[in-house]
Amino acid sequence: MTVMEKRSVEPLLPMTAAMFHVLLALADGDKHGYAIMKEVTRLTDGAVSLSAGTLYGILRRLESEGLVVEKEERPAPELDDERRRYYHLTEFGRRVARAEAERLEDMVELARSKKLMVKVKPI
Amino acid sequence: MPAQRNTFADRAFRFLLRFFPSEFRGDYGREMEQVFQAQRRESQRNKAGLLRLWGETITGIFTTAPREHLEMFRQDGGYALRMMRKNMGFTVLVISILALGIGANTAIFSVVNGALLRPLPYANGSRLVTLTQSAPKAGYDNLGFSAHEIEDYRQSRTLDQVVEYHTMAFNLVGEGEPQRVVTRVVSANFFEVLGVKPLLGRTFVAADDAPGAPPVLVFSYEYWKEHYGNDSKIIGKQFHMNGKVHTLIGVLPQIPQYPTPADVYMPVSACPFRSNPATINDRTARMVAAFGRLRAGATLAQAQQEISGMQVRMVKTFEDDYPNDMDFNIRGSMLQSDLTKQARPTFLILLATAGLVLLLVCANVANLSLSRQLRREREMSIRAAVGASRSRLLRQMVTESTILSLAGGALGVLLAWNGLDLLISFAARFTPRAHEITLDGRVLVFSLGISLLTGIVFGSIPAMFSTANPYGGLKEGARSDASGKVRQRLRGSLVVAQVAVSFALLAGAGLLLRSFYKLTQVNPGFRPEHVISMLVDLDFDRYKNNSDVARFHNALLEKVNANPFVLSSAIGLTFPLNQGMMGPMTGKFEIQGRKRAPGEPMPVFDFRSVTPGYFKTLNIPLIRGRYLTESDSDPKQAPLLINESMARHYWGNEDPIGAHVTNDGGKTWNPIVGIVGDVRQYGLDKSATDEIYCTQAANPTSTASLLVRTSEDPRKLIRQLTELVYSVDPNQPVSRVKTLEQLLDQSLAPPRLTSALLGGFALLALIITAAGIMGVMAISVSQRTKEIGIRMALGASQGSVLRLVLRQGLTLIVVGLAFGVGLAMSGTKLMQGLLFGIEPGDPLTLVGVTVLLVTVAALSCYGPARRATSVDPLTALRSE
Repeated sequence: MTVMEKRSVEPLLPMTAAMFHVLLALADGDKHGYAIMKEVTRLTDGAVSLSAGTLYGILRRLESEGLVVEKEERPAPELDDERRRYYHLTEFGRRVARAEAERLEDMVELARSKKLMVKVKPI
Repeated sequence: MPAQRNTFADRAFRFLLRFFPSEFRGDYGREMEQVFQAQRRESQRNKAGLLRLWGETITGIFTTAPREHLEMFRQDGGYALRMMRKNMGFTVLVISILALGIGANTAIFSVVNGALLRPLPYANGSRLVTLTQSAPKAGYDNLGFSAHEIEDYRQSRTLDQVVEYHTMAFNLVGEGEPQRVVTRVVSANFFEVLGVKPLLGRTFVAADDAPGAPPVLVFSYEYWKEHYGNDSKIIGKQFHMNGKVHTLIGVLPQIPQYPTPADVYMPVSACPFRSNPATINDRTARMVAAFGRLRAGATLAQAQQEISGMQVRMVKTFEDDYPNDMDFNIRGSMLQSDLTKQARPTFLILLATAGLVLLLVCANVANLSLSRQLRREREMSIRAAVGASRSRLLRQMVTESTILSLAGGALGVLLAWNGLDLLISFAARFTPRAHEITLDGRVLVFSLGISLLTGIVFGSIPAMFSTANPYGGLKEGARSDASGKVRQRLRGSLVVAQVAVSFALLAGAGLLLRSFYKLTQVNPGFRPEHVISMLVDLDFDRYKNNSDVARFHNALLEKVNANPFVLSSAIGLTFPLNQGMMGPMTGKFEIQGRKRAPGEPMPVFDFRSVTPGYFKTLNIPLIRGRYLTESDSDPKQAPLLINESMARHYWGNEDPIGAHVTNDGGKTWNPIVGIVGDVRQYGLDKSATDEIYCTQAANPTSTASLLVRTSEDPRKLIRQLTELVYSVDPNQPVSRVKTLEQLLDQSLAPPRLTSALLGGFALLALIITAAGIMGVMAISVSQRTKEIGIRMALGASQGSVLRLVLRQGLTLIVVGLAFGVGLAMSGTKLMQGLLFGIEPGDPLTLVGVTVLLVTVAALSCYGPARRATSVDPLTALRSE
């Protein structure tokens, strides 16, 4: 896959919560499928739990859109299962995730301006 | 964890993975298994957790898998559409060929569906049984039933209802001109058994049918609409009919009328003939038809057994009414198959023909795709090289072919829809159910089904022989010889199949056309040109005795003959090809001085009562003796004419002239004074029956037709002739005005339409096949350019190259012909019933068809062969 630097992120937005969570799970490092699954559960305190079918459906889409690529480098064989594949968030994927986060932030801002939420001081 | 790999859970998970497209499975399957194993390990100690895991996994797979399939189809479809746009010529050609094939099948299937498959539009249509009483030894296929017999069969335990009906022509007098109406006289349960609810008012109840009940009428929808313009206040209106006042009580909805359309319905008690005590009490006064409804749970076989038993008892009890030598018989048959008996063979042959055309279309389009595939080899190889699996490529090709065939199917349905009116008028010649033919849901599902099937068949043939691989196809000019040969052979087999199917279709069409030609060459025994007929059915109420009838006929003929354009005219009880309600008027006769062998039935003849001008008007030749004259009017000793068939059958080499015959058991003996030519009374395909003619003067009939031969187009005289009838009696309606040429043309319409339709299919097949042969030969030549170049460089003449290519093409054609002859021999046997004067294996037809097919095929090969001879050896050697 070529990295599509100049590609617009707009057509991909908004994205489903599950897809956004997968991107978030990959934001701080490459992971294999099972690790992504566990990370999503951890990040959401178990509120979002992905089944194998759902996860790989998402990964297939992310891969075909160029948001995620398979990593060639693998851990040492004794720590690895040859069936595993490791996924890496591309630069484009990172931009899409950021754009989605900003979109969500704008929405929250909007909700606050309508007094739906109380503004919380940044820590 | 190899130890865990094959647990039941693993196997179950792997099974679930099968719901994903193979490509997806190839990419992620193993990893998903691994993830699932890890998940299971984690929740192993927790039963509820394990259960939840399975639940989520199954839900996940069943929500994701369809989406993945759809996505793949979207990709394949998008790609296919791009490819179709790129090859517009190919796309248009294939869609058109498919549209013709699928359209033909849709059209014919809609006919089969409407007329043969759909349930009857009556309540309990599948339980209705027609009853037919016959006396085969006496020559009666359908005797009808008498009132007593109907009463007896109503005692049946297997039939819960028995309905009687008959059809009469009566004069209906309302506000305007008197109308001659086709009247169906029915028992009160007629509409109830058919489940017909009235559009207005009510239908008959038992009280309407009681003797002496006030006369009532029901109008058919068509009659009401045409004559009373949908007037909904018409119920209760009174009409004069047969000298009585009838009250209109109802109007029928728009339904197909059984057995044929009628204008007016009346109960049995209102019919002056049927309600006559003499008719009711005479067990041999068989004038009505009958059908019954099977009791729920009873079968036709049970009903047949029961009614046969009932008839045996009647024959025993009333010996005088069932003469032994007549061999009485009763048969029940399902109404549904009865209505389509005549149509079934023709429709099924057409459906089989359309199926063959579709097969041919498949072979042809598969060949076109194979040829195109050659040009796409590189594209496919590139796709294979970048990781597309073989199944993915196959799927891609089948997606393309399916989209093409769906487009062809849609266009085909449109074609069929356009031709629907034509088809209905075609089918109406064969079955009263023709008006039920529509493109309904079942037809559309059928068309969708055959479109999909066609797409899969013509797409997978070339796909299976695709040689796409990441290595071969990419190399310039690297076309594996072996696979090339396989494909060439496949293309050859497809051509063989096309030739075989075309041959069979051409043979079928050829037989029908020859049979039709033979039919048109039949001498009908009369000259139909410039003769017009009109039914002048006298009202029996006003023309009570024979002298009234004779006076009317004489006055009419006198006026008609005074017209300067009239060459001759006559009155006839019936006339050739007459399609009136009257069936054949038959009788039995005895020949003076001849004894019948014991048990030998009396000979049956067709009776014609005519005025002397009949033979001149119809141009029926006198063979021997003399014609009838005006003075042959004494019924006691009225001279008779017989036709040639009768003379041959009963006198052989003896001379019948001077012999006397009787048809009233010897009360009167009539002399035979002449022999006239045979006439094909009931259709050109039916041989002449034995006929006896006597004069109207001796035997006046109130039902009769006026026949007029004119010096110019008789249709120009219709108005004048009708007015002449009115001038004799202003209250006398005229109906069924037809020229004899029109009747002849109508009688030829079914075979003409069938042979035209089959001929059209065969022509279509021939064109498709010729195009197919041309395509295959052109490719073969282009593939062999190098070889031909070498041959020419080594001194081969243009003639020898031409022969080389032609030989290759003709070999395929000859093999195809061999299969075709086999197919035609077995296929055309099914057509036997449609053929007249020709056998299914008719050698002349087969030879003619062979010559036609070989000529067309040779011409199709010739173009490519010519191109081969113009190959420049130098260019050829440099190519590829």
